[in-house]
Amino acid sequence: MTTLPDDNDLYFIDFPGRIKKIQTAMQEEDLDVYLGSRLRTLSWTLDAFCPWRSFVVIPAEGLPTAFTFVIDAARVADDSWLDEDHVYGFAPMGGQDQIEQISDFILDLLNNGKGRVGVETGMSNYLPEGNLTHYEYEQFDAALANAELVNAHTIVDRLSMIKDPGTINRFREASRIVDIGHQAVFDALQNGGYKDISETEIAGIAALAMRKAGSEWEWSFTGGNEIASGYRTGLAGGACTPATRRKIQPGEPLMVDLHAMFKLGLGDHAHNYLIAPASDRQWWHANNFIDIVKQTLKTYRAGITPSSLAEEMIGFAEQRGFADYMVPGFEHGIGLMGDEWRIGLNDGPFAYWTNPDHVYRENELLICAMQYACPEENIGFRYENPIILSKTGCEALSAYPLAIEEIK
Amino acid sequence: MSELVDYLSSQWREEAEKRLKSELSPEKMNKITSSMSNIYLNCPDGSQKYLLFRFENGELTELSIGQGQPPKAEFQITGNYEIFARISRAELGSQKALMTRKLKLKGNMVKALKLAAIADRLNKVLSTIPTRY
Repeated sequence: MTTLPDDNDLYFIDFPGRIKKIQTAMQEEDLDVYLGSRLRTLSWTLDAFCPWRSFVVIPAEGLPTAFTFVIDAARVADDSWLDEDHVYGFAPMGGQDQIEQISDFILDLLNNGKGRVGVETGMSNYLPEGNLTHYEYEQFDAALANAELVNAHTIVDRLSMIKDPGTINRFREASRIVDIGHQAVFDALQNGGYKDISETEIAGIAALAMRKAGSEWEWSFTGGNEIASGYRTGLAGGACTPATRRKIQPGEPLMVDLHAMFKLGLGDHAHNYLIAPASDRQWWHANNFIDIVKQTLKTYRAGITPSSLAEEMIGFAEQRGFADYMVPGFEHGIGLMGDEWRIGLNDGPFAYWTNPDHVYRENELLICAMQYACPEENIGFRYENPIILSKTGCEALSAYPLAIEEIK
Repeated sequence: MSELVDYLSSQWREEAEKRLKSELSPEKMNKITSSMSNIYLNCPDGSQKYLLFRFENGELTELSIGQGQPPKAEFQITGNYEIFARISRAELGSQKALMTRKLKLKGNMVKALKLAAIADRLNKVLSTIPTRY
């Protein structure tokens, strides 16, 4: 059933209002039509998860229309706030392939085929980003021969940067669910429960608990729930560890990075353990890590920049003698499903990477993400938690207690 | 009726209307409200023709044939006259014609999928008209 926005709902997002804001920005940039293709744009405008190649066409006025692979179109219409007249399915049939179907639709919106059409191109480290491919661009360019295609993704990037209460509440609920996953993992590991358990099994224990609590899926493209044990926790610079069949061993570190999704809001929290017996040296590393996480969370607030925070934190690590083990990045961007890469806008010294001098603003949401890795000692830790910035500090949405427990 | 009538002629249209109304009850048409126009390119006389079907609550309310651009319809199927003729003679399936780009469908395919069986029923009735192509 199509979900109509209900402003009494804790998770209410004004999707028609978002479309109107895009249309206002289109007018300012002299665009007649906006053709969105990035996963972040689809989530942000449709309120539906679009796992297959999908597009949204936003006219100068009125409702947008979504286009997706025909096998999933009815489900997208069911989940979205749009009705079935505004969700089309495409398939390899005459007039129904994505290029012809969408370009015909856009031509009907243009004046004699003329006008400016905003598209989304660029690059990303995030594979499912969804920029137009070279082939798609060429085909749309040929089919809309009298129109001009203009890269316009900044419109959505700018409008989606500051989070509204409904979005924040969706992230808050996803984080609550992740905490339930962490509790289930802890319960399973303690009192010798870790013996003969593999990383994949831990990922599954957490997944079951989170699904029971309402998570839609373990959303991360990095392999769902990321679990690393032993030497895998300390891979140099490593912050991506899909679970393997490796068994958990005594005397080793264990990193558990869980992902839950609630109404396209994303939970993402990493917690760390030492499997007994833990050595003094392991505890030295563990305490370093906990201290720098606390320091980082204390420092985050609107008004600072990624580079100023990194300098301050690396300075702290240098002073304490563990700077060699810190990966010098303390965040990654986050938004509704599909928005998982850079912070802020595409305005830094390296195209499509975080601008190190981006000045954080109130109600920006990001993942506080830190990686500690000591490959020569086969030990490392990860911290991730969605945080909301305020003028004076930040709120960590996952409330699972910050600690590194020794599991016996 | 045993005499052949010319495809898309006024006699053919009258016969088609009669057969559709008598053989396809509103229930058989799932009480749909929709419209579809077939656009025939490269007709034998060189013209472009259309055949428009309009249903309301499953009842055929309009079956019209004309020249040039058709009135607005929920679905529009475009192809060469010969392709439509081959489909009517059951020499070519409509789905295959779409999948090989011999026909072009304009309209919401998710809705069209729901109507695919109904379109088959409709074509089946039309294929029984003794027709000269």
